[in-house]
Amino acid sequence: MTHPLRGKAAVTGIGETAYSRGTTKSGLALQMEASLAAIADAGLKPADIDGIVPYFPGGGIAEDFIANLGLPDLKLSAFVPMGGASLVAALQMATIAVSGGVCRHVLISVGRTGYSGARVSTRLQQFPQFALAAEFEAPVGVFAPAQLYAPGARRHMALYGTTPRHFAEIAVTIRRHAILNGNAVMTKELTVEEHHASRMIADPFRLFDCSLESDGGAALVVSATDAARDLRQPVVQILGMAEGHPDSPASIAQRADLLEFGLVRAAPRAYAMAGVGPADMDLAQIYDCFTFTVINQLENLGFCKPGEAGPFVMEGRIGLGGALPLNTHGGLLSQGHVVGLNHAIELVRQLRGQAGRAQVAGAEVGLVTGYGDMGDGALAIMARAA
Amino acid sequence: MSAPAFERPKPTPSRESQPYWDGLKERRLLIQHCTNCGMPRHYPRPVCPHCHSMESEFREVARGGAVHSWTVTDHPFNGFFKKAGPEIVALIDLDAGGPSGATLRVNAPLRGIAREAMAVGLRVRLVFEPVEEGLVLPAFEPE
Ligand SMILES: [Zn+2]
Repeated sequence: MTHPLRGKAAVTGIGETAYSRGTTKSGLALQMEASLAAIADAGLKPADIDGIVPYFPGGGIAEDFIANLGLPDLKLSAFVPMGGASLVAALQMATIAVSGGVCRHVLISVGRTGYSGARVSTRLQQFPQFALAAEFEAPVGVFAPAQLYAPGARRHMALYGTTPRHFAEIAVTIRRHAILNGNAVMTKELTVEEHHASRMIADPFRLFDCSLESDGGAALVVSATDAARDLRQPVVQILGMAEGHPDSPASIAQRADLLEFGLVRAAPRAYAMAGVGPADMDLAQIYDCFTFTVINQLENLGFCKPGEAGPFVMEGRIGLGGALPLNTHGGLLSQGHVVGLNHAIELVRQLRGQAGRAQVAGAEVGLVTGYGDMGDGALAIMARAA
Repeated sequence: MSAPAFERPKPTPSRESQPYWDGLKERRLLIQHCTNCGMPRHYPRPVCPHCHSMESEFREVARGGAVHSWTVTDHPFNGFFKKAGPEIVALIDLDAGGPSGATLRVNAPLRGIAREAMAVGLRVRLVFEPVEEGLVLPAFEPE
């Protein structure tokens, strides 16, 4: 039986600000700028937006969107507080809203001054999801995401022989893609040697294993598929989507299997809904807060068996022209950190055939993931409508 | 990647976790146990996830364990830890979790070993470190 949400929603508009390190604009201004761009890209007017699922905490809330965009009749204001998985999980929330007849056009957006404003280790301490880490782990010196996620990477290396060379392959490949994009913080080629020589942040993570702290905004519009057909852009449907939560979601330390993210639960549901599997993907946009996080998700997503993602990413497989091009926009590692909404935007751009120099020839179906809050996961599978 | 703080982040115990912190002050490792089904759980919380009983007590458990994984705090994300320099911080599987199958871990600095010698499964023992007035934190040393 076809899942009732399959194909019922489409991404109709995408918008981004310039990604930078150093801005005079507020996070809210960046969020609104990207939101207006996404609405215009769809061929809509701000007044057509009747639902919002913004990133939270941090950034605009319903009151800000009504006041800035002049929304006449907002029918849904929701948050999906899953850290880096929030905005891909928001695609599920938006799909429920438009397929259930509550909304026609839902705006998902984020704006942040990760470079010019408060840094990530400062922000996290205020999140309720981090209360256990703040009580039990911060006092011994562990509170930044790099420190919280590093033991998973160490364990993967110990169990499976994964090496820094595998990590470097991800950083170097994604950097190459960022350079092709044109709107990216990092614009110089990165070599394996430069990766290995970069300073250690939280063993085994070196500087170039870590995502950027950057400024920028990103937004997209999710519309009911029947409304999408009348709009400006080629229709990109959401075929399947799911969110998943790991064991011990608020403490990695207490999780029986450090390498089992929420994606393990979400991926089979999304594949079943979409009617396609990992082997069908023409490309993938994987949340890359750290190089290792990509390795772990490739396994959780079923692209390869547990322990095999290190060798899997080698020999050009994840680059343009390879079997599974990854993060063709430069990702969080090299384009900019807008909590992964840039990954969803890039998937849409690829499926429309608008990815410029990074275009994957014949891209028809692909997936995007979100990962955050110490292991929450979400994915969406999209396809160009026939 | 800088932060202005120059003090150690302090635990803010909850009603549920207070006995754990009080135990450390008395140099005892106290872990919450369900008084209905007997299962231990850590970190402390009001409900037993196995049987949903809300009755629990803290029992002293053995301090031995094994390395599950680790990191090294090469970059201090907080000015306080810059003074201490890089430390190995390890996730330790307490032996006390073993018989029940429960995951009981303590995340704490591991003293007296070089990072090159670190390995999954390494045997360690919890020690008590008074770090300032009124605060004792766990740490580990090789067994
Ligand atoms: Zn119980």
